[in-house]
Amino acid sequence: MEIKYVPTTCPYCGVGCGLNLVVKDGELVGVEPWKRSPINEGKLCPKGLSCWEFVHDEDRLTTPLIQKDGEFVKATWDEALDLVASRLKTIHEANGQNSVAFQVSCRTTNEECYEMQKLARVGFKTNYVDNCARICHGPSVAGLSLSFGSGAATNGFADALNADCIFMIGSNALEAHPLAARRIIQAKEKGAHLIVCDPRYSMTAKQADTYVRYKPSSQIALLNSMMYWIIAQDLHDKEFIANRTKGFEDLKATVQKYADVKARTGVPTELVKEVARKYAAAKNAVIIYCLGITEQTTGTDNVMSLGNLAMLTGNIGRLGVGVNPLRGQNNVQGACDMGAYPNMYSGYQKCEVPENREKMENAWGVEGLPGEYGLTLTEQIDACGDEIKAIVIMGENPMMSFPDSNHVRRQLEKLDFLVTLDIFPTETTKLADVILPGACFAEKDGTFTSGERRVQRIRKAVDPPGEAKADWEILTDLAHKLGLEGFEFTSVEDVFDDMRKVTPSYAGISYGRLERPEALIWPCPTEEHPGTPILHKEKFASPDGLGAFYGIEDRLPAELPDAEYPFELMTGRILFHYHSGTMTRRSPTLDHEVPTGYIEISVEDAKELGIQQGDRVKLRSRRGEAETLGRVTSDMPKGVLYMSFHFSEGPANVLTNTALDPMSKMPELKYCAVALEKA
Amino acid sequence: MVKVGDMFYAQAADISIQQKGECGGAVTATLKYLLENKLVDGVLAMKRGVDIYDGVPTLVTDPARITELSGSLHCAPVIQSNVLFKYLNGAQDMKLAVVGVGCDSLAMQVQIRKEELNADNLVRIGLNCGGTFPPVQAQEMIQKFYETDPMDVVKGEIAKGNFIIETKDHEHKEFKIDDLEEQGYGRRASCRRCEEKIPRTMDLAFGNWGVIGPDAGKATFVEVCSAAGAQLLEDAVHAGALTTKDPLPKGIEIRANVEKAMLKLGAKWQAHDFLSGEERDEFWLEQFAKCIKCGGCWKACPICTCDDCKLESCEPRWVESGIPPSPKLQYTRAAHMDADCVDCGQCEDACPVEIPLSSFFHQSTKNTAKLLARFDEITATR
Repeated sequence: MEIKYVPTTCPYCGVGCGLNLVVKDGELVGVEPWKRSPINEGKLCPKGLSCWEFVHDEDRLTTPLIQKDGEFVKATWDEALDLVASRLKTIHEANGQNSVAFQVSCRTTNEECYEMQKLARVGFKTNYVDNCARICHGPSVAGLSLSFGSGAATNGFADALNADCIFMIGSNALEAHPLAARRIIQAKEKGAHLIVCDPRYSMTAKQADTYVRYKPSSQIALLNSMMYWIIAQDLHDKEFIANRTKGFEDLKATVQKYADVKARTGVPTELVKEVARKYAAAKNAVIIYCLGITEQTTGTDNVMSLGNLAMLTGNIGRLGVGVNPLRGQNNVQGACDMGAYPNMYSGYQKCEVPENREKMENAWGVEGLPGEYGLTLTEQIDACGDEIKAIVIMGENPMMSFPDSNHVRRQLEKLDFLVTLDIFPTETTKLADVILPGACFAEKDGTFTSGERRVQRIRKAVDPPGEAKADWEILTDLAHKLGLEGFEFTSVEDVFDDMRKVTPSYAGISYGRLERPEALIWPCPTEEHPGTPILHKEKFASPDGLGAFYGIEDRLPAELPDAEYPFELMTGRILFHYHSGTMTRRSPTLDHEVPTGYIEISVEDAKELGIQQGDRVKLRSRRGEAETLGRVTSDMPKGVLYMSFHFSEGPANVLTNTALDPMSKMPELKYCAVALEKA
Repeated sequence: MVKVGDMFYAQAADISIQQKGECGGAVTATLKYLLENKLVDGVLAMKRGVDIYDGVPTLVTDPARITELSGSLHCAPVIQSNVLFKYLNGAQDMKLAVVGVGCDSLAMQVQIRKEELNADNLVRIGLNCGGTFPPVQAQEMIQKFYETDPMDVVKGEIAKGNFIIETKDHEHKEFKIDDLEEQGYGRRASCRRCEEKIPRTMDLAFGNWGVIGPDAGKATFVEVCSAAGAQLLEDAVHAGALTTKDPLPKGIEIRANVEKAMLKLGAKWQAHDFLSGEERDEFWLEQFAKCIKCGGCWKACPICTCDDCKLESCEPRWVESGIPPSPKLQYTRAAHMDADCVDCGQCEDACPVEIPLSSFFHQSTKNTAKLLARFDEITATR
């Protein structure tokens, strides 16, 4: 008998907790705490503790499958990859440069994200490659880049312990990022003042010293008002503003109009003033936010408003301060870092800059890399059947996670050829021409980059089922079938080394250096460099070294409630499930805890509509209908509904709006108008 | 003839084990003897993981690999009883030697009583333990108080109320544990309250307390705690795996004093941590309001061994659903735990929302034990 503990990184959210997978005679039998991990010290959330349970599930994809006459037929790797290579080549030759598009999952490793964008750019000369950060923290990348010159979180999770005030908005960390929430709880118990702003009285809000309920999608007004009162009470950091920023006058002029925002936000002015004072007067104050800020048509503006707030009070560039988006997926930071982005190579090197293109052409041994901004994730869906004839989707389930699922289906059906790489059959793989079976996190080596920019190893504990293999191996084989050079990878470390050669912020990171559980935090430009836990210390990452204020006006969501669709629908996640549920719903522990979806309804609304706890309810939006169970709760304000998108039997994204944030192309997943009735 | 209660200074007979193992390698030699002579199929003990702050429960079946197992790791709070019943079928189908400290030995006792562990298939090797430190916080502590890079530390030890570190350059530094603990560092809460420093429910209890004179650092003190332990020690000596001699009387006295001092300290911490009356209820209600029902506490618990956990059941629900779960969840667990909590602290280590769970269960178990003892008294007089 053999028992083995394999230390690795959790496959779920972007906190990047360490854990031990327990292997008994070649099979996973459990998860045990890895107390040596500096991230979580052995502590885990319900998802982390049960992350081994789906791995050996009988539904796993075990061989390549080719769709023939509506049926999926087993195929060998050679048959499947020959077909994929020849169809992609033919389509590309017949329909032009951008006829083949690529969608990269933030659930995969850095190596796989890097390799897929390299394959798109080298093999198809296209920038039509994007990752699902687009629909979670795309606005963070865009907004923080504009404000600070770098689109990543400025400080780490544990750094909350150095803060005297924690300002959270649009984040229900205790459910979505529990081990980041632990640091907030620790900080609070040490004496920090915790402010939580959220339309829902969420589990996190219940921990707050000060809770601020605002109307959904009114953040800009709320934040502008806070800034108005900070300036009015002379609490702004004039020295910081003068020395390290530009654009303050623009901001100051804009916020003048926001002294009283009660009508728009629902927040009494006295409370705004108090919160403004608490945040601004604290010695060190940190902002922590999440998708309640980003998943709106004002996403980028919302993020920049937080940038404004931090700079206004000089809360940037040292311990206990900063602006920190909590990244949703295990490798959403990494997928962006790796250049799985339609306008950037790895390390945020812009494609439009000729020197960058030349550098990559030399490194990759190709010519003619495009400089244009490629189509983003949901734009690719919109272009199916027109410019785009084929899509390769690695580890994503757009049928569940993109807005307006009916639209997604109609569009994907227009494609000549759809290839999916996945570990389970999903709502999306059903539409594929070829399904390629991947290895999951426990079955391969690689790295994930967590939301605090920490690059951590994952380690292979067991073999993949059947013929399944790691995505990087599949991509390497496909590249060979396509006759491409520069893909002579025999190990995942080869891919990592290929990446770091062309990525300044990762150049100093090697597999050897990642053996320590502390791992490394980028930027890490040389092999002697210790990594950079805190950004913007002396100057900002922008070209002129200054942080930029922007005067930002409040804007309304794309679709407002009306007589026919009177409710505001917010969507999100719950503690026990993860995204489209492919993994968590196959975990007995989690399924047991929450077997199906529900919608949260205020007590008043439920009474008016005659809805009792657990009743079936029907939701309608301009785009579709869904049925689910009603959960009546005093945590919801009247007129607002909250639903998670994990459950295909009551899919939230049938209802949601495809309207985009102009800057980041983020769809308005967190806000649309719906009608509700008893089913 | 060796008897229960006998005490010795023991050493590995093999010179290389003597030098490589800690304090003369008596434990290593005993384990090797068991494996080589097929008295057990495997040894379950702790191995050093990435560094001295990482303890990994490890099953060794090849006697040649026995030296891979580590000696004491003070910054690795890991128990084996949990591994035994979760992953090794409670030693039902293989003979195992298991190496553990006080809380672990008590947990095994409970598991044996509940027939979760097969005592006939177990050789239980105990190690004295003055307490363990949370691995990540220990590094911070070493940096802050010892002004030493934690990566330069090769060994940690508790002696005379101090936590002593040894660096790779053979430098020794020490601090009073009391002082460290007053400043929020030091041993885990459970270890502070511990009253099982010498694991006498094992077959043999090894440790370095009381080894003085020329043998200090070169031999291990062993106390024989069971008939099986007596037999094992006698056979191992007879087979030439171990050498033993009588301990110095002064050494025995010192060992007893160390234990006594530590127990006194444990009682002090119990008085400190345990709450009473209304304050107690208020405190725990507030703490349990943070719970996210991860299940980490009961998954890590060596006493929570039911196959069909009613707390995890959907239908019927024993505890109302919802997050945070009703505080009844932990009160129900405490009731189910009866007087069996061994205060190993694994639940608290696992808790993602910083609920000081171990003191809740420890106090609850103490109260239940008192109640049960009272019943025994009453029934005895009738």
